[in-house]
Amino acid sequence: MDADATRSQLAAALVRVAGGDRAALRVVYQDTSAKLFGVCLRILKDRGEAEDVLQEVFVTVWRRAASFDPGRASPITWMVAIARNRAIDRLRASAVSRRMEPIESADAVSDPAPAAVERVELAQQHQRLSRCLEELEARHARAIREAFLDGTTYEELAARMSVPLGTMKSWIRRGLLKLRTCLEA
Amino acid sequence: MSTDDTTDPAAGGNLIAAEYVLGVLGAEERREVERRLAQEPALATEVAFWEERLGGIADAVAPVVPPADTWSQIEASRPALMATLAGSSGQPNFVAAVTATGNSLVVVPASLLTNDPRAMELWLILPGPNQRPHSLGLIQPGQPIRLTIPPELAGQLTPDAALAVSLEPPGGSPTGQPTGPVIASGKLTSL
Repeated sequence: MDADATRSQLAAALVRVAGGDRAALRVVYQDTSAKLFGVCLRILKDRGEAEDVLQEVFVTVWRRAASFDPGRASPITWMVAIARNRAIDRLRASAVSRRMEPIESADAVSDPAPAAVERVELAQQHQRLSRCLEELEARHARAIREAFLDGTTYEELAARMSVPLGTMKSWIRRGLLKLRTCLEA
Repeated sequence: MSTDDTTDPAAGGNLIAAEYVLGVLGAEERREVERRLAQEPALATEVAFWEERLGGIADAVAPVVPPADTWSQIEASRPALMATLAGSSGQPNFVAAVTATGNSLVVVPASLLTNDPRAMELWLILPGPNQRPHSLGLIQPGQPIRLTIPPELAGQLTPDAALAVSLEPPGGSPTGQPTGPVIASGKLTSL
């Protein structure tokens, strides 16, 4: 629907959460929990773990809503960042039990599905990001996308794409530098 | 160091914010960045830049509805709200706690005050200018009581909202607003 309306409604709810409004947290949960659960699940590959992290995310949102600045960040981006950070920390903590995804399955999910893209707020920024990613060398863009979506370390990405660690670091850093120039343009 | 690293213009570390947001750092490096974030506003700005710009990659993730009981577990783990209601002497007369679900309030007398025949009515005063008190019901000086918070107020019990007890005619205030003296009051705080 109207992405701007969704965004401002969510931002308003977060401001109310910052004031301690419990009903507003429920609104935020209803609007974002499926997205955030998907993000956590993608990183953790385990429903139980993802559910634990989702709970932590909303308790964090409850405590930290006052630090959300609607003038500076989009609400869903702010929440996705919290969810990813929590999920990545959990992933690192349980590194032993982690299983590597075969390259084929990683490929299968690495490209944004148009339907999903349309469903969430499609800010101009996101279109610009897609355009800028397309300008990168394909393998650099793929490494960046997979790192973001799966929360994988340089080491794991290097193993997954069968290149030396130094090469992977170089791909990603070059990609990020080009991306920054493109995004700031 | 590989050739790739030595020719990497970003080897100096000015991409650490991007690497943190991307999620390629190990646990210790992540803690290090977080320590620095607390002290370096420029780094925090960089992190915010990348969070905002790379956030769109998450569009690729399909939403998955979480299990139905997740919400109730979040509710149960939120910090509780409590208030100590003191009189003008500063002595606590009542302790009030909002239950985990946020829709009822337990009021426990902390000291027996009086055998005043008047009723004691509990009021909620929301934060903000010119707020009129909302009645939450009558309480007893001698026993704990559980009061249901009206649904339209349940979402508004926040830290900084205040509770107060006034003395009223038997059966409670006839006007819907406090009519007698306030004998105890206090702010809600998060535990």
